[in-house]
This record gives sequence, structure tokens and C-alpha cells, in this order.
Amino acid sequence: MSTLAPQTALLLVVWGTLVALDLVSVPQALISRPLVAGTVAGWLVGDVEAGLRVGALLELFALDVLPIGAVWYPDYGPAAVAGTALAAGAPWELGLGLSVGVALVLAVLGGWSLRQVRRWNARAIQRRGAALAAGESGAIRMLQYGGIARDAARGALLTGLGLLLAWAVARGVRLDRETAVGLTLVAIGAALAAAASGAVRSAGRGRRLRWLAAGAAVGTLLAGLR
Amino acid sequence: MTGGWRALLRLLAVQGTWNYERMLGVGMGYAAEPLLEDLKTVDPVRHGEAVVRSAEFFNCNPNLAGLALGATARAEYEAVPGPQIARLRTALCSPLGALGDELFWAGLVPALVGLALVAVVFGAGWWAIAGLLVGYNLIRLATAVWALRTGFDAGMRVGAAIGRSWIPRAVARVGPPAGLAMGLAIPLVAGWYLQGFGGIGIIGALAVAAAGAAVTRWFGPSLTSVRFALLAMGLLLFFRRAGL
Repeated sequence: MSTLAPQTALLLVVWGTLVALDLVSVPQALISRPLVAGTVAGWLVGDVEAGLRVGALLELFALDVLPIGAVWYPDYGPAAVAGTALAAGAPWELGLGLSVGVALVLAVLGGWSLRQVRRWNARAIQRRGAALAAGESGAIRMLQYGGIARDAARGALLTGLGLLLAWAVARGVRLDRETAVGLTLVAIGAALAAAASGAVRSAGRGRRLRWLAAGAAVGTLLAGLR
Repeated sequence: MTGGWRALLRLLAVQGTWNYERMLGVGMGYAAEPLLEDLKTVDPVRHGEAVVRSAEFFNCNPNLAGLALGATARAEYEAVPGPQIARLRTALCSPLGALGDELFWAGLVPALVGLALVAVVFGAGWWAIAGLLVGYNLIRLATAVWALRTGFDAGMRVGAAIGRSWIPRAVARVGPPAGLAMGLAIPLVAGWYLQGFGGIGIIGALAVAAAGAAVTRWFGPSLTSVRFALLAMGLLLFFRRAGL
């Protein structure tokens, strides 16, 4: 992890807050996808390659998620930001595994924090039940702004915690080369398993499965030719 | 339709107060406010009742929420009985959820993300990111504009309008491109990461991938792909520390 200047850390927290908001609250423009969140974080810390590598690997995990209704899912956006900050400045083959490991822990924590925000939103609605029943538009607006503010605070805290964790890991964890490379290979393998599982599950047994198989065949051929 | 653009902007935050009781309800009420403004001067009592109804339980895919919002706002102006409007909202939850999730979360997003990953592998870098964001947002914003207009024009007949629209056809067509894009992306991304590692490294990563796919399928939701990854990394660290 390169040393982060305070203004860079602040920019990362702002970016992490925006991507956390984007996941559910506003505007759902896909900046919360780890590929996007990680690449922009890489640019902010001066290592776009690290952002792309961390973001693309977390993206494979995210492809295993179908964010439908009340289903629980990890929050990969702030996780990609912190993971990129940890991976920056080191050869990706050595830093990717540990960075993605830290990011996955944060993503799980992010999913948990999202559920807490949803519970707090419900409590806020209960508290303003009388105003809602009276048809007060002002109460609806206040609830809406409150919900978005809670989610923004969640994103800022999660990203800040992620950067602290990344800093602690960078300072405290020393891995020999074999272990670092091993972690990277395990992370890549697990990410491929996640993406393949998600792809097969969403393909079902119909036409989409045949297109998935055709794509995999062409992709394997192209990967071999590169 | 007065307040249409403001309602459209507010629809981008329709999940801002997502919760386990009313789900999108309060966000729908927030987005409905500009649409219902004219009703306040025409019929203040009806306006109050409409505001209450607009923030009650509702759930669907956020990209298609405009259909329900427009339809119920139109119904309020046409003085349709309140219980009938409440039934329309309830009836729209499942179809708008199923169609929107299938079209966006299971179709368009994996297709575009898959293509972006392929582009990253071929060195497109920022262009891949820009293509993903621009492509997705053009489609979802155009859909949001169409949904609000269609809902408002159709009112209580919104179900028939959805059935006649492009949405069911798009849902049927988006699956194959999504499957193709993901199929292309996975081996290409694997090659991108593994090309510098040599035979043993590649075999090791692919063995972890095979084990992960099998084990997560076997255990189901109790062992997600993230838990498997963390477990595998933990085991590796443990064995390395033990000198194995």
C-alpha cells in the first residue's frame, strides 16, 4: 500500500460514500459495481492497474449476486475502494490476494450494515406513523432525506474503516512471496468459481445456457490465442 | 403531466428509504409529490388521501417504478375510488418486480458487465468503464422516462399497456446476449489473470475454482462464494504458517 496523503484518503472516503449510496439509495447508476469503484479508486491513489485488477476480480464475485427485493447481498463498492488502496503500489501478483481478502471481509460487513440501515429506516417510519397517516408531504420528505443520510453515513464509515483496515494490514502483515502468490491464486480461483456459479444459475436450462456455453467456448479459444 | 421531470429525478432515489415494512413505499410517496401538486388546489381532501396512499407499501424493480407511479397519479386525478388504486398498486408489485429484475439485474447488467470485462482484458481500460456506465444509464433513463409517461397515459389500464409494450419482448430477448457475454468474459478474465503464473499456478487456481463451484453448489446458501473464498484463504495461511 502506498502511503496515502490525507487529501487522497478523504477523496477515497467521498468516493466510497458515493458508491455505497449508489448500490441501493441513489442513483443506481452502476458506479457501485466493483469494476467501476475499483478503477476510479485506483486513479485516485495513482495506480489504475491495481484498481482494474482488484475491481475486475471483485466483479466476478459480484456476478454471483442477483439483488432482488429483500435478499441479502455483500456491498462490493466501498470494499473495492479499500482493496484498491491496499493493492496500490505493489506488483499485483503479490498484493491482489491479500487485498481481495480484506475487500471480501468489508463487503460482508457492508451487507450487514445495509440491513441495519433498513431496520433504522423502518423505525424512523414507525416514529412518523401519525404524520404519514395524516398525509403530510413534509414527513415523507424528511424520511426520504433521513434514509439517504443514514446510507451515506454507512458508506463513509465503511470506507473509512476499510482504509484503516488496509493501513493496519499493510503495516502489520508480512507475507513471504510464495504465500502472497498463493493467496492471489486462491482469490482468482474462488472468483472464477463465483462467476461460473452465478452464470450457470442465472442461465437456467433454456436458450441462455446454450449461449453461455457458446460464449465460454469462444472465450476459452480467445484466451488461448492471446 | 405537471411535475413530470421532478418526479423522474426523484424516482432515481426511489429506494432511498428502503426498509422491510414499506419497502419502496416512502420513496414512491416522495416521487409522487410533484405529480400530485395540482390536486392540492383542485381537491385538497383528495390530495391528502392520495399522499397517504402514495407512501404505503410498494415494491418492484426501481427502473420500472415509474409505470406504477404514473398510473396511480393519473387514477388520483380521475377520482378513481381509493381502494381500487390501492389494489392496482398491489397488483403491479409482482409483475413490475419480475419483469424489471429479469430485464435489468439478470439481463442487461450481466450483459454489459461481461462486455466491459472483455474490453478490460483487451486493454480498453477507461473506455470499458465509460462504455458500461454510458450504455447502462442511457437505457435505464430512457426506460424511466417511458415508464412514467406510459403509466400516466394509461392510468388504471396500465396492465394492458405493459402487456402491449416492448418490455415483455425485451425480457425474452435479453437472456441470450447476457449468457454469451458472461460466457465470453469468464475464460478471458481467467486468462488475463493467470497468464504469468506458469503451469502449476494455473492448475492450482483452476482446482480452487472447480472445488469452489462444487462445494458452494453442494452446501447451497450456507456456503456462499464469498465464504468459500475467505475459508480457502484462511486455510492457505494456516497451512503456510504450519510449514506445509
